[in-house]
Amino acid sequence: MQVGLLRPALALYAALFLLFLYGPMIVLAILSFQSQGGGPQFPIQEWSVYWYKHLLGLAETSRVSQLPVGDSLIRSLALAFLTTVVSVTLGTMSAEAFRTRFKGSGPVFYLIILGMMVPGVLVGLGVALLSNFLGIGRAWWSTSFVLHVVYTFPFAFLVMLAIFNRFDRSVEEASLSLGVSPAQTFRRVTFPLIFPGVLSAMLFSFTLSYDEFSRTLFTAGADLTLPLAIYGTFSVEIYPNVFSFGVLTTLFSFTLLVIYGLLMKRFTSRNKRFAGQEDA
Amino acid sequence: MTTMTNDIPVKSGASPAATRAAKDRRRALLLLSPGVLWMLLFMLLPLGMVVYVSFWTQTTFAVEPTLTTASWERFMSSPTYLSAIGTTLRIWLIVLLSTLFVGYPVALFIGLFVKNRTLQTALLVACVIPFWTSFLIRVIAWRPMLGTEGAINIILMKLGIISEPLSFLLFSEFSVIVGMTQIYCVFMVGPITFMIARIDESVIEAARDLGASFGTIFRRIVLPLSLPGVIVGTIFVSVMVLGEFATAASLSGRKVNLLGNIIVSQVGSLKWAFAAVAGVVLTIIITAVITLALRVVDIRKEM
Repeated sequence: MQVGLLRPALALYAALFLLFLYGPMIVLAILSFQSQGGGPQFPIQEWSVYWYKHLLGLAETSRVSQLPVGDSLIRSLALAFLTTVVSVTLGTMSAEAFRTRFKGSGPVFYLIILGMMVPGVLVGLGVALLSNFLGIGRAWWSTSFVLHVVYTFPFAFLVMLAIFNRFDRSVEEASLSLGVSPAQTFRRVTFPLIFPGVLSAMLFSFTLSYDEFSRTLFTAGADLTLPLAIYGTFSVEIYPNVFSFGVLTTLFSFTLLVIYGLLMKRFTSRNKRFAGQEDA
Repeated sequence: MTTMTNDIPVKSGASPAATRAAKDRRRALLLLSPGVLWMLLFMLLPLGMVVYVSFWTQTTFAVEPTLTTASWERFMSSPTYLSAIGTTLRIWLIVLLSTLFVGYPVALFIGLFVKNRTLQTALLVACVIPFWTSFLIRVIAWRPMLGTEGAINIILMKLGIISEPLSFLLFSEFSVIVGMTQIYCVFMVGPITFMIARIDESVIEAARDLGASFGTIFRRIVLPLSLPGVIVGTIFVSVMVLGEFATAASLSGRKVNLLGNIIVSQVGSLKWAFAAVAGVVLTIIITAVITLALRVVDIRKEM
């Protein structure tokens, strides 16, 4: 499209937009290397990894208390893992069901999608009230867990729905009618076709649950998850150890993203090789 | 061929196709029931509980299941709570407009001006990546940006634009709006880019060959075709901003009280019934917004 200055102007605007998106994280990353005496702002007194040591409990005692990351990290990882398993299973089953036309598919679709739309603070309040009413104690592995699934299951469902929409049912039927057992058909035909979707649904579920905060706030009970532990430090003065934590948790999320990318790439290249063999 | 048709057993008059369709439907319902049950038990039932408890009797430290409208009367006659409704609606509208105006040109650039598919995907991924990082960390990252000794004030002072640090940048409504715009903008950019990238190139070329200026092409083709994306983005941003409390809690210095903040503080002081009333009010507002938006576009058709 030839429209003179509009294209470079919009390109510049998009670049500024990316700066707006990434700027605060970049500043936060720089400030995480503040020295012990420096505050959570510029100027950097002296470059150091003191706050990383402080975060990991390697620094000598200081007036700033250590962030409670140890146990809460393990809880968050376990919760994210549980959530991933259940929501990917539910998502795949529901998407498979949607391949058949049935009455009431519209309301069911919206019921599932509602899970990712309804504000966390509302369902969190609801589950807390319900557990009070029924006299059930609240804990990260029970009340928080069911809510995390309510949130991530719709994402898994949508991803799997997109995958199932793309592939033709007759491929499976061909395999079955050629006498391949259902188990073999699933392993050799269905699974390779849906694997990229399963992987994406897992990535979504895990990261969303790992970072989820508003759904956990009222439902976790006494034992905190990682985001709750971080939120607890917000109300008091913040120190650069929160920044160091931010850098590390961001790196963790990126690592997951890279693993996902590598698995995806390996999988697609293997599929290509397989297709090539068939051609020969 | 005739012998083969005769071989198919005919059961109670139903055709084989109908039997199979019925079997498929049963299988679909079986596959669907765990997910639907989960949503009913852990989403709809709790939401119903919020409505129910909003009519309970609030005592000092507990709620009792004696039905009353006292909490509602107190909520509706309290200037603090009523102004929270006003603040929530104001912040929602401002953030909605700012995500739209900040995001639309970016979506236009990625969807219309970037022709290379790889670059298009790369730019979209670059916009989505911050979504993968911790929400709370992204909120807190605005503190060293906007503070009186923050990055923006330092840069502006170094450039000689201001001589005194701007104090309205942090712990104000401004910081809440900036923070929310940055966090939720991607949900506007994504759907709009998706719709714009789907526009058939030949339609635009035809318009240009017929002598239409870019302004006309934008107004008559691109803008109307991108509207479903705008609506989907509006729904995403609206439900997220209306249910917000963490950004306001950590960037406004307690100056901005949204309905979400009311719920959190009421739960903190064990005033469950008042929290429930605020929750019901919030639900009503969100339902109204989504219903209004869904009148304009059918999401299921657009996906």
